[in-house]
Amino acid sequence: MLRRPIVLAVAAATALSLLAGCSGGNDDADGKKTLKIAAFEGGYGRDMYVQVVDAYKAKHPDVDVQLQLSKTLEDEISPNMKAGKFPDVVVLPQGRKAALAETLVKDKALEDLTGVLDMTVPGEQSTVRSKLADGIVGNLSTNPYNDDKTYLMPMYYAPTGLVYNKGLFAQKGWQVPTSWDDMFKLGDAAKAEGIALFTYPTAGYLDSFFFALLADVGGEQFYKEAMTYSEGVWKTAQARQVLDITAKLLTYAAKTTVGYANEQDFTKNQQSLLDNKTLFMPNGTWVVGEMKDAPRATGFEWAMAPLPAVTAGGKRYLTTIVESAWVPSGAQNKDAAKDFVAYLYSDEAAGIFAKANAIQPIKGIASTLPAEIAPFYQLYEDPSITALVGGFASTAPVEGVNIKGTLFDTANSIISGDKTVDQWQTALNDASEKLRQAGK
Amino acid sequence: MTTTRTPPTPGASKRAPGRSPTSTRGGAARGRRGDGRFVAVCLLPALALFALFMIWPTVSVFRMSLYTWSGFSTQMRFVGLDNFSKLLDDEQFLRAFQNTVALLVVVTVVTMGMGLFLAAVMTRQKLRGHTFYRFVLYVPNVLSVVVIAAIFSAVYDQENGLLNGTLRLLSLDGLQQVWLGDQKLVLYSVATAMLWQSLGYYMVIYMSSMASIPEELYEASALDGASAARQFFAVTLPLIWQNLRTTLTFFILSAVNLSFVLVRAMTGGGPDGASEVLLSYMYKQAYTNSAYGYGMAIGVVIFAFSFLVSLLVSRATRREPLQF
Repeated sequence: MLRRPIVLAVAAATALSLLAGCSGGNDDADGKKTLKIAAFEGGYGRDMYVQVVDAYKAKHPDVDVQLQLSKTLEDEISPNMKAGKFPDVVVLPQGRKAALAETLVKDKALEDLTGVLDMTVPGEQSTVRSKLADGIVGNLSTNPYNDDKTYLMPMYYAPTGLVYNKGLFAQKGWQVPTSWDDMFKLGDAAKAEGIALFTYPTAGYLDSFFFALLADVGGEQFYKEAMTYSEGVWKTAQARQVLDITAKLLTYAAKTTVGYANEQDFTKNQQSLLDNKTLFMPNGTWVVGEMKDAPRATGFEWAMAPLPAVTAGGKRYLTTIVESAWVPSGAQNKDAAKDFVAYLYSDEAAGIFAKANAIQPIKGIASTLPAEIAPFYQLYEDPSITALVGGFASTAPVEGVNIKGTLFDTANSIISGDKTVDQWQTALNDASEKLRQAGK
Repeated sequence: MTTTRTPPTPGASKRAPGRSPTSTRGGAARGRRGDGRFVAVCLLPALALFALFMIWPTVSVFRMSLYTWSGFSTQMRFVGLDNFSKLLDDEQFLRAFQNTVALLVVVTVVTMGMGLFLAAVMTRQKLRGHTFYRFVLYVPNVLSVVVIAAIFSAVYDQENGLLNGTLRLLSLDGLQQVWLGDQKLVLYSVATAMLWQSLGYYMVIYMSSMASIPEELYEASALDGASAARQFFAVTLPLIWQNLRTTLTFFILSAVNLSFVLVRAMTGGGPDGASEVLLSYMYKQAYTNSAYGYGMAIGVVIFAFSFLVSLLVSRATRREPLQF
């Protein structure tokens, strides 16, 4: 007679345990503060984060730091975030496919970190603001709403531009072109030797190219107008010039470019540079680490150049990518999170990051650069080159409109002849106009 | 067609209805009610999980499609059917829809045709080493999609790929293509990968149902002078009809789901959206573009589309079941 209640109990217990397994709450019992750090494991590797967290733990024994590192960070933290469980600090590059930071910006779901700038770096005398390089905060990538409030703290910065093989240029006696006329002349000369002038890993890598070119053509004011969807900006003569230069450059693109411009094969486009089959591609400092095991032509040497100037002697811009650290509004331990963010700018942390080639925008860091990437950062010392930070401004989401896709991916169709520059310009104007209305 | 109709075998009639083991015990009525409660309790965990992870999310998709929401914030704005009316003007959505339908038709027709043909050859022709062929054809089905994408990246490589390399070897250089870079070809390149992945699975399903057809039917039709082809259309096909109908539903599901994972791993929807399918576009809108409600509206369209096509296919293929 006992059997039925037992069976019932077992069934109920099974049901409960299944449900309990879903809830998975784990609050600390011993009163320690728990600080959840989520960081993207990218080209810089994971060790630097482990070391920085260990160093922080050693100074703060009362804080239990939980570090989550992943190459697919968004996929892992987003489900919990949708359920209301937020990490306290997130370190993530912007412009990733999942667009987590961008989404939270659009949502106004980030904590205002302006206060962190005036905090004293833990264990040091100076404030965060005084350590940061000039001009690195206060642009659209740190202050996304175009006001004086900082939501995204700049973590690492890296120049992006036209990457090339210095060895090949020396070997052939070619000069890196400083004007677009020279660029296309070089393209013809290289073509005669079976070398293509240009390629891109995937069309998405054209971001650094376009941002710099927009500023080269129309100046910073025009660049800002394009990024903030000013009315009719893509109908202007400057915008047309940007598209025309690009379309002409794309006629010089390696013929393998489009076929390899996908997630699976993009390294083959990068490889064409190492094989001396292509002269230039838009890329960043990480390509050195990404391709470090790839075979290469003898005498190969990484180098980077800004885009050629549009007018002789004109200002040239170098698109600078900034990865950022931020605190979601939903975080549990915001004060501890801000303290940790301030710590990330300490000499101790910066030293650990720099060893992994992750360079923070801290004054005086240039002297500590590892040799293989130092030439990239030396570009900033050229007086005619200006760093360009930012990207398209955030608006409320607009259904079916992705201006980055319209601007970059269309390059694939321009090369293959499936679309014309006129169609490109019209599509950009439409997308920009819809975003402008959403941003009002 | 009536020739294939055979009287029920004696064994079939033995399974008389209404004879469950419980009814042999005494006090049948009381026992059955108790059993019902027991069964309900046993089912409860599974039902709870089903409701939580299947029914609730599905209902949520429908609800979300009526809102504008970025996916994270607490601000959700009810917009009624706005998301759906925007879909009609969205060229990229229409392109993704066309691609999905094209994949559905091409992959279904080719996979089904080849699967049936191979299954018939292997079960009827007693090929030497047919277990080996079956193994080879089935292997792709157990591979992960990432592996398949890597394999096809090597096959389709425009310079050193297996395909272009073979064409060069055969002096057919003119036929070489940029398989993943040509906007007119890329969808068929993806379709080929889907076909390669799923062919073995359907072949094995068809083989197992063909193997259960009694040999006498083939002997009888052979005595009547039926050729192998005639046997296939007059005996095999009608007798595995129910099975075919089931696999048709699988085809619709795989055209929607498998195409997404393959497209994401192989082309990312490119070049310039030429291989975008409904689910990959939904993903891009819901996550990359932060238009979660709009993404869910695409989800509703996918749901309605696959439901409707399954229903139509099921209705159109309905036949009176044949027994043997």
